[in-house]
Amino acid sequence: MTTAIVSTPTTQPVSGRTSYARFVGAKILGALGSLFFVLVVNFLLFRVLPGDPARTLGRGRFKTEEQLEAFRHTYGLDQPLLQQFLTFLHNTFTGDLGVSLRYRVPVSDLIWDRMWPTVLLVGTSTVLATLIGVWIGMASAWNRGGLFDRFSTGGTLTLYSMPEWWLGLLLIATLAVGIGPIPGIFPTGGLHSTDVDPGTPAYVLDTAWHLALPVLTLTLAYLADYSLVMRSSLLDEIGEDYLVTARAKGLRDVTVRRHHATRNALLPTTTIAAVNIGFVVSGAITVETVFSIPGLGLLTTEALDIPDYWVLQGAFLVASAGVILANLAANLLYGVLDPRVRT
Amino acid sequence: MLAAAALLAGAVLVPLAMTPTATGADKSTFTVALTGDVDSLNPFLGVEANSYEMWALAYDYLVNYSMKDMSPAPGLAKTWDTSADGKTWTFHMRDGVTWSDGQDLTARDVAFTYDRVLNGEIEGVNWSTYLNNVTQVSAPDQTTVVLTLRKPNAVLPLLPIPILPEHIWKNVSEKQMKSYANEPEPGSPVVGSGPFRLTSGTAGGSTFTFEKNPDYWNGTPHVDQVVFRVFQSKDPAVQALIKGEVDFVEDINPLQVKALQGQEGITAHNGISPLFEEIGFNTGAVDTKTGKPMGDGNPALRDPRFRHALGYAVDLDRIVKNAYQGAAEAGTTIVPSAYGGWHWEPPADVKFSFDLDKAGQLLDEAGYRKGSDGKRTMPDGRPLGTLRLFARSDSKASVDTLNFFQEWLADLGIDSKVTPMNTNRLGEVILEGTYDVFQWDWFVEPDPDSILSDFTCDQLGGLSDSWYCDKAYDAMYQQQNGEVDHAKRVEIVKKMQQQLYEDTPYIVTAYTTTGEAVRSDRFACFQPQPDPGGVWLIQYGTKNYTMLRPVEQAGDCDGVKSALKPVSAETSDSASSGGNAAIVIVGGVVVLLLLAGGGFLAVRRRATAGDRE
Repeated sequence: MTTAIVSTPTTQPVSGRTSYARFVGAKILGALGSLFFVLVVNFLLFRVLPGDPARTLGRGRFKTEEQLEAFRHTYGLDQPLLQQFLTFLHNTFTGDLGVSLRYRVPVSDLIWDRMWPTVLLVGTSTVLATLIGVWIGMASAWNRGGLFDRFSTGGTLTLYSMPEWWLGLLLIATLAVGIGPIPGIFPTGGLHSTDVDPGTPAYVLDTAWHLALPVLTLTLAYLADYSLVMRSSLLDEIGEDYLVTARAKGLRDVTVRRHHATRNALLPTTTIAAVNIGFVVSGAITVETVFSIPGLGLLTTEALDIPDYWVLQGAFLVASAGVILANLAANLLYGVLDPRVRT
Repeated sequence: MLAAAALLAGAVLVPLAMTPTATGADKSTFTVALTGDVDSLNPFLGVEANSYEMWALAYDYLVNYSMKDMSPAPGLAKTWDTSADGKTWTFHMRDGVTWSDGQDLTARDVAFTYDRVLNGEIEGVNWSTYLNNVTQVSAPDQTTVVLTLRKPNAVLPLLPIPILPEHIWKNVSEKQMKSYANEPEPGSPVVGSGPFRLTSGTAGGSTFTFEKNPDYWNGTPHVDQVVFRVFQSKDPAVQALIKGEVDFVEDINPLQVKALQGQEGITAHNGISPLFEEIGFNTGAVDTKTGKPMGDGNPALRDPRFRHALGYAVDLDRIVKNAYQGAAEAGTTIVPSAYGGWHWEPPADVKFSFDLDKAGQLLDEAGYRKGSDGKRTMPDGRPLGTLRLFARSDSKASVDTLNFFQEWLADLGIDSKVTPMNTNRLGEVILEGTYDVFQWDWFVEPDPDSILSDFTCDQLGGLSDSWYCDKAYDAMYQQQNGEVDHAKRVEIVKKMQQQLYEDTPYIVTAYTTTGEAVRSDRFACFQPQPDPGGVWLIQYGTKNYTMLRPVEQAGDCDGVKSALKPVSAETSDSASSGGNAAIVIVGGVVVLLLLAGGGFLAVRRRATAGDRE
């Protein structure tokens, strides 16, 4: 999916405004095409999964063939596949994503409810990891081989290779439960306390308090993604002549780094950030599990066990739409940043 | 960067504001950690065990369960009687029960609920088996319910159907029912009659709050609130118990129980549950439409003598010790010993023992002799081949059990191979008949009818996973199902277990337990079910939710001797005040770090290239 972003530069000059409009139009059409393709694949993909929802849900409970049939009939599972597909297409275009087989509530409500915890968790972590990671990468490249470089590269790599659930459990055991002199000041899981009213400032703080550890876990795990890429691309720039020129002009070290080297080194990181933001709505399954955060990642993995076709279709549609939109945004942004891309 | 630091600092400081409200409330709240979802609050739709618990708190049942052995006990119905031919059941209900909105709960509500089950399509999916053979439900007066049956149904009076308020549910059409959530709105709890009222919670949600019903007919609960918190994995739930965020965790594994037993203020145990684990065989899959053999099960397993011989090749004690860490009992029949009244215990002379010589001898007698290569062959001399042993990949015990079994089969001269697979796939493979041996488990209801029916020919292609089908067994099944004389029915039920033990479609390996742990420094008076030795909380019926109370009110637990008494009177106040002091320290450190970082940045900003080179 990342390949779409990289386009070959062309030298052919076309008149500015119309070419950009054409560029935008083509990209949007392409995005819509991808979305429709995803829609079709989603439907077929999940029907191939092993398992029959009526039997998975009904193990030990739906005793007779009539009970199984009644279940299938109520939720439209007894219709021919083609019929189901057409209903699915029709419903999707009218904004109806169906009823979850597991929770028996409209899928759109379910996804809407589960999206916010995920966006808060993964979105905050992505933003934090980008900012901190870029800063770490920058600082360590500028002082390559220094104490900070060795420490931060080793540290972020260690965090990167830790399983997220294990890191999460470690944080729960230390910062939520407390060990020895370390007090347990954070909750062990969940998104809210039960006795706080929604909509109040206390509720917002309560949510932030609950999210602190999961966000910390994800941020630590994501750091290396950004810091390593940033570090290596800045290292590429450091040897360039224009930096020598800048220094020769007598510019301060910070200015050289910030306004000259970093500017150019940021492009690869931007690409990663754009792609990762697209994945925000896919959720973070392991962290959601460890901290019991009712997010989209958890919803999707649990739906796979049933399999809960409509939830899976809905969740994947949203996730794909996220990635496609982020790619589209990145493409359009590149068009603005670099005129050579507009073809 | 600064924004991020501020956010983290803010998150650290929140507990300062939060802690007083959390501990300062006068309400007594009992918080339970559930590990698993509540899938629907609508009793016609949900299928998860945790959902059944929610309905049980919010609603009542015509018939309840005894604490001793889960046998039928008075519920909304004080008494019941059966006509001589077993075709009419009359239930006499108690007076003066009201719904939480003030309306009277009458026999009409019962009739309405049962009618929905009998006549609705989706309403019947969960519950229609309990009203098997019932043709009509009537309410001749306010407190009498009469069930009219086509033919006798001995499973009655087992009626685990929550009674719903007609005045609310009559407005829910058949079409709306399939996605009717039955969830509370702020300020308006779900209308029910149970010991508690559901005030907040949604399908698949993470917390469910119940307020006590002060007018409950079966005793006012001693706690004001019960809160269920859903955890997605067990370790964090255990951590939350240690910290004191929750008061009870259930369904934890034996290792977690062991770890918690050493913790101060916590009592943990492995409670007896009506569960069994089995090694199951493909006794001959057939196409249910044509009756022709189907799949590719090993022909040796169609022979009951072959399967029975393998019963002597399983070291149950070793499985209990190693696969279940000792938190189980060696199994025998498909009706667990927790149901003492129904369980058939094999006499010593026919009971399986771990005796590979005997197993070998029985195989020899049945014609499965060893060939020149030391491998057993079919009676006609063809090679026996390799048995495929399918384990559930999500259960370590399942894989362990079959790995042991593979070793013991090898000792007998039978090749086999263990393959773990996901349960959905295993379910499909079983239905296709393309397996030899599998490992799975069952939860058995208080009436054995349901588990016994899984071995009838009717369930081929349905809930049967062994493809066992036997005319004599089916005849006994029908007979017990219609036998109204309890003692006679028990006799037949025991004979059926005996036949299954001899024919061995299953080798029942273990009666497993359910691990539970409670903050016994805060709450007491949990009575086990079955009593003694059973589970403390997630039981049949809700007696314990009205029994349990804060330790300071425990007394002698109303004279219930087996109830869990308070373990220590100490409270954990010291920990929380210590926590506050520590928060201040951590907060201070964060502020210092921010200041130091800011200063450092300011200095760096001023430095020029010249300074550094």
